Amino acid sequence: MNTPRGLVVTGAHVSFGARPGLHGVDLSVARGERVALLGPSGCGKTSLLRAVAGLQPLTSGAIAVDGTEVTGVLPEQRGIVYMHQSPSLFDHLSVIDNVGFPLEVRGTPRRQARERAAALLDRVQLARLAHRASDTLSGGQRHRVALARALAANPAVLLLDEPFAALDPELRAEVRETVLDLLGTAEWAPAVVVVTHDVDEAAAMAHRVAILLDGRLAQVASPEHLLNAPVSVAVARLLGLPNVLTGIRAADGRVSFALDRCDARGAVGQVAVVVRVNAVRFGPPGAGTPARVVSVQHRLAGTIVRVDVAGEQVTGIPAPGLSLAAGDRVGVLVDPGAVHVLDEALGGRDV
Amino acid sequence: MTHATHRFTLLALAGWVLTPIVVLALRAVSLSWRYPQIMPMATASGGAFEALADPRLVAAAATSFWLALATGVLGTVLGFVTARLVTRASGRLQQLTWLGALFLVVAPPLASGVGLQVVMLSLGFGGTVLGVLLAHLVPATGYLTLFAAGILGSMQSGIEDEARTLGASRLQVWTRVLLPQLAPRFAESVVLGALISWGQLALTLLVGGGVVRTLPVELLSLVRSGNDQAGALAALVLSLPPLLGLGLLVRATRRTGAAL
Amino acid sequence: MTRRNVAPLAAVLLIASPVIVGVAYTILAALGLRGAGASELTVRHVAAALGGWDTWRGVGWTLATAAVATAVAAAAAFTVALRVQQSPLGRLLAVLPLAVPHVAAALAALLLLSQSGWVSRLTHAAGLTPTPADFPALVYDRFGVSLVLAFAWKEFAYLVLTAVAVLGTLDRASDEVARTLGASARQVFWRITWPQLWRGTSPAVIAAFAFLIGQYEMPALLAPSTPTALPLLIYERSVDPNLLRRGEAYVVALLALTLCAGLIAAHGIWRRRLPGVTR
Repeated sequence: MNTPRGLVVTGAHVSFGARPGLHGVDLSVARGERVALLGPSGCGKTSLLRAVAGLQPLTSGAIAVDGTEVTGVLPEQRGIVYMHQSPSLFDHLSVIDNVGFPLEVRGTPRRQARERAAALLDRVQLARLAHRASDTLSGGQRHRVALARALAANPAVLLLDEPFAALDPELRAEVRETVLDLLGTAEWAPAVVVVTHDVDEAAAMAHRVAILLDGRLAQVASPEHLLNAPVSVAVARLLGLPNVLTGIRAADGRVSFALDRCDARGAVGQVAVVVRVNAVRFGPPGAGTPARVVSVQHRLAGTIVRVDVAGEQVTGIPAPGLSLAAGDRVGVLVDPGAVHVLDEALGGRDV
Repeated sequence: MTHATHRFTLLALAGWVLTPIVVLALRAVSLSWRYPQIMPMATASGGAFEALADPRLVAAAATSFWLALATGVLGTVLGFVTARLVTRASGRLQQLTWLGALFLVVAPPLASGVGLQVVMLSLGFGGTVLGVLLAHLVPATGYLTLFAAGILGSMQSGIEDEARTLGASRLQVWTRVLLPQLAPRFAESVVLGALISWGQLALTLLVGGGVVRTLPVELLSLVRSGNDQAGALAALVLSLPPLLGLGLLVRATRRTGAAL
Repeated sequence: MTRRNVAPLAAVLLIASPVIVGVAYTILAALGLRGAGASELTVRHVAAALGGWDTWRGVGWTLATAAVATAVAAAAAFTVALRVQQSPLGRLLAVLPLAVPHVAAALAALLLLSQSGWVSRLTHAAGLTPTPADFPALVYDRFGVSLVLAFAWKEFAYLVLTAVAVLGTLDRASDEVARTLGASARQVFWRITWPQLWRGTSPAVIAAFAFLIGQYEMPALLAPSTPTALPLLIYERSVDPNLLRRGEAYVVALLALTLCAGLIAAHGIWRRRLPGVTR
């Protein structure tokens, strides 16, 4: 059998204190692949990462790196690098000695370690700061040094715990680009797991997104598939999808909801209907379901309009050239291909 | 670390720290404790405590007390005023002051004391309580300036401005905001200053010239005259106030970075 | 100097005045211009003090005992701090000596370590020392054993307190990151924890050392008469009935001040060259 390269987590149970922990998480990430771990705060994302890194014990389950089981192995011998939320640089060392640290602890002589570190610093455009004290760097620079230091360890697996949470929004995008650049280079292709609670960030960084809910992986899918077809109402709400509507399935299998009706086989009764925002269009009244505009938001990516349709609020975009204001009457048209039916009744929103 | 090593550490620590204190306490209450007895034969009931009522010790304790109180109060006033003025000064003067204050704390009291002794003598303060008080104020003011600077530095910077914009006059800012906030810190500062004076020996001997008899001075002469029991009793009395103020001492040491 | 600095400067000069005047008088007295037996500008006192073998032996002895005591206290304090960091009882025990004044601690050392002291009685009971004379002289001895132990006992508390505070500020996350970067637990201690602990506590260690150089109470009760510890030398000379000898006290006092100031300055320069302590 081909041993899979990268990270394989099988049946991971992690308990943390009195709170419910993780029950049986299975996840595999190939070399060169990036998976984002998304979940509400306190769901155990960080615990999972720490357990994978060996910083906290697994109750049961197994972790393998490049086909080798590392479950009971010391953290320093796993080939897994864990990068903390705010880059934990060693402030008693200069920038170059920070980057050379992983080499020196593996016995590389200091001179060689520094040569290699200098080359890595060059890769993150920080060669000129090599001999500065690390606590004199700006936030973005610290992240780049931490990244160069992680590169120096040449890990098979790289774990990023909310890597950009501490940065300003402008810097965040810049540092993210640097990270993606470096991870994209062929010579260094670790399996990457990045923890985040920002859906956009997950979508921008990862090939696949894993949703962690109530101690289990609820769904693992590409960002596109995830946004179009969440497996449950809980996942849809975690993703922040605005249009999760109540629907009723009749005996003939047709589901009717506030905007439309569609075919979707399943049990008769209440269902949930998820419709993506850009599949809902508001035109002049007459065509489509009648509705009244509740609010209009002008955003960078376009105008977002919220309307009231028979007591349910629906978010969508205006037809091209149409200018809307609160109170206007509109007709709602839905792209039937973008309607996703979930076989569960809508609970009350807990927001 | 295992449970066993942890217990061993605690045990070793207790032995190292407590043995001298326990032996001191036993000596203080034992009438007779001759070699080679490991425990004293007779511990004192009343009788040994007569030493405590020794008028010399009582007088010395009283002198020490008043000196300590005066040092604490005056040192607090000087320390807070200096710290307040200096926090408003420009960077270089600030640095200079902190260095100066630190030097007052660390510099051997004896070394600057010998010069002070000459000054006091020529001013006619030699061998007087006032002279000793002035001498005690030297290390106390340095220490309390550092303490006050830590307090004032950690106070919310905008609080005065905010109080003013809420309608308080400059005077009201002091009487209604700053002083109530600082009152407990003033009390702590007085206690710290008092403790510095309370344990002081070298400066007292130099400037007091052996005439001003504080508790440490009596303790020294008791031990030198071979009266260990009374000496140990005096040592216990001497250790009692700092022990009561230990929590405060610990916090202040953390804040100022300087030991008493 | 700007105008807003006038008031602060005046205040600083006022609180520093006793020391400024004291040091100035010490200098004048050392040069024979003030104080007992003052006559005219002379280097007689300087020559007498610095030319004397006693002074240098005292300086050497004082520096050696202070250094050994500081080293013992620091080693014990670091070991204990790393272990009792999480234990309230341990932390309380460790800081207890802060409450015992130096002169009281010196008496305790005397009661414990003299030839008929408590430790000697223990060794007697164990059959090791038949008489007090068989117990080694640890008090007034030329190696200053009891003095070093008493010094170390007092400074230990202060250094544990500092070390625990420093350990509390260390970023535990960086230890974990270091582990995943390939460092073993031992390497994390020696490459991450220790340098930061030492860096945070070194000012306190140096302050303790400087303080011990000038400490009077403990040598007064525990040190031998020869070599004479620096603070005893200053005190004895300053009250010497022979007025000529008093001049020497001021010279030795200046020497002690210079030693302390030099020590603090040297440490400051060393520290400024470390990465990460630029401000």
